Amino acid sequence: MTIRRVLIANRGEIAVRVIRACQMLGIETVITTSEADREALPAQLADRTVCIGPARSTDSYLNYRAIVTAARATGCDAVHPGYGFLSEKPELADACASEGLIFIGPTGDHMRKMGNKIAARVLAREAGVPILPGSEKIASAADAAEVAQRIGYPVMMKAAAGGGGRGMKVIYDPGKLPAAFAAASAEANAAFGDPTLYLERFIANARHIEVQVLGDKFGRVIHLGERDCSLQRRHQKVVEEAPAPGITPALRQEICNAAVGLARNIAYENAGTCEFIFDEDAQTFYFLEMNTRIQVEHPVSETLTGIDLVQEQFRIAAGEPLRFQQSDIVFRGHAIECRINAESPEQGFRPNAGLIETWAPPLGPNIRLDTHCYPGYTVPVFYDSMLAKLIVYGSSRSEAIARMRRALELFAIRGLGTTIPFLHFMMGRAEFRDGKVSTHLIEDVMSDFLAESATARNAAR
Amino acid sequence: MNDGLSALKEEDIQRLVRLVESLDSSTFDYLQLQVGDVKVTIGKGAVPLSAPVIAAPEAPAYTPPPRPASVAAPPTAQIAPSGKRTAAPVPTGTIEIKSQIMGMYYSQPEPGSPPFVSVGAEVKEDTTVCLIEVMKTFNAMAAGVKGVITQICAENAQLVEYGQVLFRVRPL
Repeated sequence: MTIRRVLIANRGEIAVRVIRACQMLGIETVITTSEADREALPAQLADRTVCIGPARSTDSYLNYRAIVTAARATGCDAVHPGYGFLSEKPELADACASEGLIFIGPTGDHMRKMGNKIAARVLAREAGVPILPGSEKIASAADAAEVAQRIGYPVMMKAAAGGGGRGMKVIYDPGKLPAAFAAASAEANAAFGDPTLYLERFIANARHIEVQVLGDKFGRVIHLGERDCSLQRRHQKVVEEAPAPGITPALRQEICNAAVGLARNIAYENAGTCEFIFDEDAQTFYFLEMNTRIQVEHPVSETLTGIDLVQEQFRIAAGEPLRFQQSDIVFRGHAIECRINAESPEQGFRPNAGLIETWAPPLGPNIRLDTHCYPGYTVPVFYDSMLAKLIVYGSSRSEAIARMRRALELFAIRGLGTTIPFLHFMMGRAEFRDGKVSTHLIEDVMSDFLAESATARNAAR
Repeated sequence: MNDGLSALKEEDIQRLVRLVESLDSSTFDYLQLQVGDVKVTIGKGAVPLSAPVIAAPEAPAYTPPPRPASVAAPPTAQIAPSGKRTAAPVPTGTIEIKSQIMGMYYSQPEPGSPPFVSVGAEVKEDTTVCLIEVMKTFNAMAAGVKGVITQICAENAQLVEYGQVLFRVRPL
């Protein structure tokens, strides 16, 4: 390994996760933190901490110039961006390249290619990957109406620069199109500084299926199978699992091949994910977007394949060829991940911050917890609300669900409200047990959850 | 070195004499110097038991004391273990000038020129005290306070963190 010391430009559980990988590889770690995270777990675990700015992300975690300066000054030879923050910003990858630092991820050019969703659609089409009927770019409400007429209602409006549901609108009725266009355009501009929109056919009964890929610097690309991330709330993933339930082996092969084909076509390097929307009614899939980073839910694929994806990221970035052929990748059993957030599900998922008084996670075989939390840790108000990712393995899907349900019951957290009660409820739902997952399932069962938790509260009184 | 002074060369002894002389003309009571396994302690009165934290002088601020070397900047070649930063005792009646950004600290406008400020210098709110460089952009930092510099806590051309104390100032 030519990498001896790495700067980790992130916080929270992913910073801890990257440090753990470095400890295994014998790489020294420097972490850049905001003032709010100066004493947090990643800073405690890293060999060195450099405080780069105040709590607000724009003044610290998003300051790529400070990160590159810190990396140079502390003698690092590489930078790992984690996910979120600067992970998909070509500016950091480019600055690393020009300063002689190894960026643990794809090149800035890969990010630019896939970062614009309209350009990504074109690349997918060139690679022979199915895309949803829609437009390349819509210039006006009238333009949008014309495209919508052609592809048929309902349609979904999306931001070209987008992600995370911002600038996204579903339109069922042609009369509502002009207002939706104006709103989505303003939202996209506010969120991404780019008001450009495009239209796609809206799939009512949809699932979200994505494929983990790994590419090396020699043009070789393999996949580590798919993940089903259909359980979402406001376009944010809540539960992820692999393999995707109820998908035939032939269809699985087709989806994975599509992802590898697309990645190979752009000579993709490092870890990436191709996201697809799966039409449950038509049993067909369409390309959504490609994420050019390690993802939150990567432990699901690690659990299934036994491969440490973050370690492989380092090896690939250091210029080593992939250590696996596609045929070496063996998928065993079933893995589920639940995102445990500091949010009160009974109160509309209101985010919480504050002191964690009790933190007693479940332990045991086939249970993994990725977290930066510990008893006595104060969750700051400035960042996202994810506290931990609980990942379980089972030899079958039903075994994995049972294990997850039990692990959630045993997870004792006091001090702030978490999403554990809701996750526990989801694990017990018949729809989930039967594999009838969809992107609207959480919305469908929410009223039942609220009624159940109200009954439980009354009974406790 | 069982042999005592016999191991010392003529120039070493000259250096020691200079050390004694400079201690004599300063306001310090003793001086302890350790280079490798050679340790020198000179001074008046009792020898301190352990390596003391060199405190800012209590004498009138106009006496220019030698530049303290007590605050080491983070090394770059060797990785320094981090952890809770142990705050040095802050002399009463002084104000800290902290770095408003993270970057490379430069005490002078360019190599070879005199430093922006030295200990004993009077500064006003808008006096430039140093430069902080972030990716070849040099940011001039103003004192933000009116007073006399009593201590310089950062070392030239070293990385300083956001919020790190760079100077101590006795307000006027």
